[in-house]
Formats: sequence, structure tokens, C-alpha cells
Amino acid sequence: MEIHERVRRYYFFLKSLQLEEITDIIPSFRSCLILFDRKKTSYEALTASLRDKEFLMTHINIPEPKTHHVPVEYGGESGFDIDFVASHTGLSEDEIIEIHTSVTYKVFVVGFLPGFPYLGILDQRLYVPRLETPRLRVPEGSVGLAQLQTGIYSFESPAGWRIIGRTNKKLFDYNKEPYSIFQIGDKVRFIRA
Amino acid sequence: MIEMIHPGIMSLVVDGGRRGYREVGIPTSSALDLYALSSLNHLLGNEGNAPAIEVFGEKFSLRFGRDVCCAITGAKVRASLEGRPLHSWMSFEAKAGETLTVDETREGFRYYVGFSGTPVLEKIIGSYATNLECRFGGYRGRALQKGDRIDFEDIRMVDVQRIPEEFIPRMMQPHTLRVVEGPESNYFTDESWEEFLGSKGKTAFTVSTKLNRTGIRLNGKPLAFRTDAEESIISDGLLPGSIQVPGDGLPIIQLHERTLGGYARPALIAKVDHDLLAHLKPGDSVMFEMIGMEEAELLFDMKTEIATSIKN
Repeated sequence: MEIHERVRRYYFFLKSLQLEEITDIIPSFRSCLILFDRKKTSYEALTASLRDKEFLMTHINIPEPKTHHVPVEYGGESGFDIDFVASHTGLSEDEIIEIHTSVTYKVFVVGFLPGFPYLGILDQRLYVPRLETPRLRVPEGSVGLAQLQTGIYSFESPAGWRIIGRTNKKLFDYNKEPYSIFQIGDKVRFIRA
Repeated sequence: MIEMIHPGIMSLVVDGGRRGYREVGIPTSSALDLYALSSLNHLLGNEGNAPAIEVFGEKFSLRFGRDVCCAITGAKVRASLEGRPLHSWMSFEAKAGETLTVDETREGFRYYVGFSGTPVLEKIIGSYATNLECRFGGYRGRALQKGDRIDFEDIRMVDVQRIPEEFIPRMMQPHTLRVVEGPESNYFTDESWEEFLGSKGKTAFTVSTKLNRTGIRLNGKPLAFRTDAEESIISDGLLPGSIQVPGDGLPIIQLHERTLGGYARPALIAKVDHDLLAHLKPGDSVMFEMIGMEEAELLFDMKTEIATSIKN
């Protein structure tokens, strides 16, 4: 099984156990970091108890990934790096948009900012390096590229990714659950707005 | 009610932080010195992680709109109430109309100002803590400014108390931070490790001016990556107190505002010394001392016990 799927399964397995000694879980590309309350358990006791329960993994219901459609205004003021991406890749603006919107991406990790999805895998033809010096601010909703990933800035934030467009879809709402529209394993499709 | 007259260099509402949502990238944004916060709340008869104002810099000043008990913990400061000198780590009664002023930080960096009541602020994702970067929580998601007013409810007057001297931590530099081995400890050369741990009898690092509530960048001799090691890693879950080393070799100590990191982690600050990170200021000397995981757990348990014993 690919590593992302193993992380995702393990994350939902941990959630399904609803152990009160586990205070936080951070699933990422190749690991699932578990934070626990040492007043309630110890590293040894928790790892032993999780190993004992691992057989349950095949029995739990893993939620079906949700598919999100994200409308993007590409280029122009919203996607101020699209010219750079064009000159770096040798593609036209239309080709970049065509390639970017033709893939169903997977949410590998949510983080960096609350609700920020790391999406993959980007078509090799759109490979661009990160900025050497990150920009101090990009607007909320900015859609960026970095190496073989694409992502969406859920908040106005400093940014090292190349910005090709912007969405007005609200990715994060701190007033109601679920706070983040994305969770690990979800699917994302970009649409030209 | 309190009204801000001067916020110092920066003041913001903090508490014990957000829990349970790191999985979607929500950091805890907690107070940096949780021992100072819980001592403060003990003095004021509040629950240990109750909200307070975290401040650094001088000239901090506020006016009381009602009678309330107040205290300052964390950095040792020279403060006064209507010109009457006050002690840090000791509660005092303030009357409506009186002004509290902090004139000087004598030892440490960040201090905590608390009140014997509950601020009328909205809890966001279970916490009053300010997420400055994303502008939510605390007071309108931002640092406090002159003229801001915070109302309080459930105000009660409590007996004036002080935290005994032996329970007040030392915050003076040079700071010795105990660390445990990190996941990428083998990315660095043996020589770098020797220097990192200061075995040549020299202070390894000083705190740079690149310091905020997200992280503390250190200056010093860069750590050298082994030739067979990558200079970055696949982003991984990140714990507060992680020491991350980017390509330039200079360590960054992560605080409570990130859930993921993509740089090699030679070591993590042991939890017993996390509170001390609130008091690192530009120019301070920092030394690292490696300890084992068992010792790190024991030291933290001892500290928790001390914090509990204050209350008895």
C-alpha cells in the first residue's frame, strides 16, 4: 500500500479509537505524529495498547474521500507568477491552466496554515522551484505551485510558492466545525472560473 | 473593565492554547511561559490555563475601570500602581480609575498580566489565545492597542498572595536548554554535534533579532550537514520546542504556531525548559545540554509537582 494510504488509514484508525489519552494527531506525508497526555498513559503503554488494537484496522470504516471543486481565476493580478511559470516551463498560459485543471488531486496533508491543503501530484510539466526568498504576503485563496505540489493559501500569509491564480472558495471557518473543508485523503479538482 | 493605555512593544491575549485540531493545521498559539501563566492564575484564583495578557517591552500601561485583583508573573519587572511600587509574582488589589504601569524588565523577557475574573471575549476553537498570523482568537484576532477595552465578568476579590522566591524560575542568560535527540540527529557531522553541545567550553549560540511568537533564530557557527544527508526533509508533524536547521545551518527553535516542518531536527528542547523559551531575547547566550528521554520525563514531572505544590 502506498505510504499516503497507510498514513490515512492509521489516522482514521486512531480517531475511531477515541482514546482520551490522545490529545492531538498530526498525519503528514509519511508519518502520523501522536500527542498524548502523560498523566493518563506513557509512551510504552500507549504504543503497546495501539499495537494490540491494530488488528481492528481492517474492520473500521474509513470515510470516503470528499471531492471538492475549486473555482480559480487564473493569471492576471490573481495569478501574478503565471508569466514566470510560463517562461520556466515553456508553456502558454492556456496550457498551464489546461494542465492544472485536468488532474484530480489528492490532499496529502493539511497544515502549514490552518486548512492549507498540500495537493499532489502535479503534472511534471508544471514543475517550478519555490521562491528563494518567500513573499511577505499573498492574499487568502491564492493557488500556488512548488515542485510537484500545488496548494491553496487558506489565509493571507507569507508564501514561497509560485502563485498562478486565486479562488474565492472559503477553505477555513473558525466559527464552525468542520473548521477546515479539507481533510487528508480528500480529492480536489480545479475549475477555470 | 480595563483600558489599554500603552501595549509595550507587544501585548496579546493568551491562554493554555488550542487542543485537538493540529490535524488540520491549527496550532495551539498558547502562552509561551505556561508555568508563569498557571502561577498567575493560581494567585488570582482562576483555572490554571485561564486567559491573561502576554507582554514584552516596557511602558505597558492600563487603567482599571472597576475594582479587581491583578498580578504580574513571568519576567521580573519594575511596576507601579498609581506610583506605588509593586512586586512581580504577587497579587494586588486595584481600584477603579487606577493605572498600572510597567517601567522596566529586570530579568526575563515576556511577562503576564492577569485579573481575578473572566474576560468577555469570544472563545475561538475552544481557546482565547490569539492566532496573530491568521487573525483569530484573543482580542479581535490581533495584538492589543491603545484604547482597547476588555470587560470582565465573575470578578471576585481574592486574598493578596505571593509566589515564594524559591518557586520563581531563573530567567537570566546564559540560558542552558536541555534537549533530547531529534529524528534527524544523524544528519549532522560529529564535529557539529560537539560544537552544538558546547563541549569545547564555549557558548554555542546567541539569540538573533529574528525572533517572534513562531520561532527563535539563533546565530553562531552553522551546523554542518553530513555529505550523505539531505538539507531538507519531507514535511513532518512538528512539536513545540523542535530545533529545525535549514540549509544555512543556523538553528530555529519552533514555538507554538506551527504543526508541520520541513527542516532537519537535530534535537528537541525538553518540555521542562519550554517556559524558558519565552525569555530568550536578542543577544542572549544559549547553551544546549543533551539528556535522555527518561530524564526529560522525570524533570518535567518534577516541575509539574512543584507547580502543584505551590497551590497547597
